[in-house]
Amino acid sequence: MRILIVEDEPDLLASLAQALREEGYAADTADDGEDGFYKAESYDYDAIVLDVMLPKMDGWEILKRLRKTKKTPVLMLTARDQTRDRVKGLDTGADDYVVKPFDLPELFARLRALIRRSANKTTNVIEIGDVKVDTAARNVFLKNKPVELTAREYSLVEFLALHRSEVVTRTQLYEHLFDENESSLSNLLDVHVSNVRKKLGAEFILTRRGHGYCIE
Amino acid sequence: MKIFKSIKWRLQLWYGLILVVVLAGFGFTAYQLERGRLLGRIDNELHRRVGILASALHHPPPRGPEGNGQPFDRPPPGQFHDDGPQGQNPRPPREFHLSLEDAHFFDASDPNGFYFSIRARDGKEIASSTNQPDRTFVTSTYTGGDVNWIQNLPGNTPTPPKVNFFEHYRETFEPLPSGERILVGCSVLPELKELHRTALNLTAIGGLILLVGLAGGGWLVSRSLKPISSISATAAKISAGDLSQRINVAEAESELGQLAAVLNSTFARLETAFAQQQQFTADAAHELRTPVSVILTQTQTALNREREAADYRQTVEACQRAAQRMRKLIESLLALARFDAGQEVLKRLPFDFSKIISDYAELVQPLAAERGVKVITEIPSLQVTGDPERLAQVVTNLLTNAIQYNQSGGEVRVKLKAQGGLAELTVADTGEGIATEHLPRVFGRFFRTDESRTGAGNAGLGLAISKAIVEAHGGTIEVASERNRGTTFTVRLPICA
Repeated sequence: MRILIVEDEPDLLASLAQALREEGYAADTADDGEDGFYKAESYDYDAIVLDVMLPKMDGWEILKRLRKTKKTPVLMLTARDQTRDRVKGLDTGADDYVVKPFDLPELFARLRALIRRSANKTTNVIEIGDVKVDTAARNVFLKNKPVELTAREYSLVEFLALHRSEVVTRTQLYEHLFDENESSLSNLLDVHVSNVRKKLGAEFILTRRGHGYCIE
Repeated sequence: MKIFKSIKWRLQLWYGLILVVVLAGFGFTAYQLERGRLLGRIDNELHRRVGILASALHHPPPRGPEGNGQPFDRPPPGQFHDDGPQGQNPRPPREFHLSLEDAHFFDASDPNGFYFSIRARDGKEIASSTNQPDRTFVTSTYTGGDVNWIQNLPGNTPTPPKVNFFEHYRETFEPLPSGERILVGCSVLPELKELHRTALNLTAIGGLILLVGLAGGGWLVSRSLKPISSISATAAKISAGDLSQRINVAEAESELGQLAAVLNSTFARLETAFAQQQQFTADAAHELRTPVSVILTQTQTALNREREAADYRQTVEACQRAAQRMRKLIESLLALARFDAGQEVLKRLPFDFSKIISDYAELVQPLAAERGVKVITEIPSLQVTGDPERLAQVVTNLLTNAIQYNQSGGEVRVKLKAQGGLAELTVADTGEGIATEHLPRVFGRFFRTDESRTGAGNAGLGLAISKAIVEAHGGTIEVASERNRGTTFTVRLPICA
């Protein structure tokens, strides 16, 4: 899952990005409105955490412009908690709203819910044959036994599970599993796929040659 | 009693009372006039009949030797006094003969007809009509000068004719100069009944007028007090917290309309003040939220797992920065609050203003160098009276602003001079200037040219505090700005006398 954070307070931006990465997300950052809008429009993020008060272009403007081309789930982050601000945010097309100061667990829960909703899932648990993926606890079970996965491996499983029965291209996987700072070594993905297959069974992830990967 | 405290009911009561008094006076007068008219008519009739009866009294023709030989009706005036009731030689009583023509004035068959009684000076009845009221029980109730008319007359002095009531009879009693006494009366029952009817009519009309007056007055009072109830309803809504309420001023020209207009403008000012206060609180809260978010996110992230010492250090540093920012904000807010409440105690020292300015111009030099800004000073020695620390705060604020909002390679000109009894400090930068529409808000709280934070820790309170400090010193602070040319702040302070 790749997430964009647009926030102008450097300390907040840094710790949010760090926390999200430690949760297994790929996190891109932008510290002003123009950069944020550029990135939001250029990549298919799984979610965007967007501050309202930003230099150069404010959060409302980014949201308004972004909604013309993309349906990326947006979580607004703001210090204004008056009702009219919330209404404005939701009306402009924000999918959720978190008021500063916030607790990280709540922010993460809301992000998970946003991503889940955008994938048309209503529960946290996705069952694929013998494999059960709990997106809230970020656990994977094989025949009801927990399977140890690295954060990146888990993200791969989760992304494919959320896009079940779809063929997911390598580019898509790169875009969603790695952030802008990571060098996208082409064989890194193959390593993760092969590791997952070792842990969850060779037939769990199917390869569609020339297209990408798929979970049936 | 609540009802007597209401203006409406007190007004009603008052003019109700006044109306009652006026109507009662008017009715009483009308009644008296009517009574006088009716009784006057009857009294005229009574007097007329007394005349008729008097002319019907004749001396009997002389009857031989036993008569006193007097041929005339009346004794000569000189002898009259001798002919008192105690006279030893009473004359024979005169005879009464009523002509038929005159008799119809005394119709005994009519219960309301006139009756009469004539008595000689010795009290003996000469003649009377048959329809006289029974008077046997009279003495106690029949008051007046002629209670004893039957018995005697006090002296021989002719008393003036008297008209009196005996029960429902109107009577006149007249002594004749010749000594006879004539009483004529008649029942005034119909007249009394008529008077009674008149009284009833007057009461009814008066009552009607009173009712109409009260109803009309009540309507008028309710109508004119209506704005008051609308005013109090609006005021109640406002006191309940809805400051956007206004009184509907229907009649602006009436006194209450003017009051409503005044109240409305007060409410508007109140609403503005409240909105400003609310905005200020919201802004202050907003400014505090971001550093708190930093601390929360930083610490929660750090505590998520075991870290290297360097990571913890980073977290602590970030938290410190956030805390410093909050401290600065809180200090600014407290300073503003103290200035607002007039609680800020300023020192009043004469000191060299130029010293402070050059000191701080020196102090900001590293910041200026970092931004590539040149600070040019022109500071002659000048004494002012005030709080050196607070004024230094103003100087620092203006200098750092001029450097921060400047462009690289720009300059800041700091000039101090005496001008018209005032010390005039100008700080001019060569930055991009402030848009004209923003100029009035420059000294406002939480004002920033850029809507977002351009530098962490700059909450937009500096100029507001500077203004408060300068004004507390009896000075002024002004701003002039030209787009892309720069901004100039001018501070004027009274020179030390």
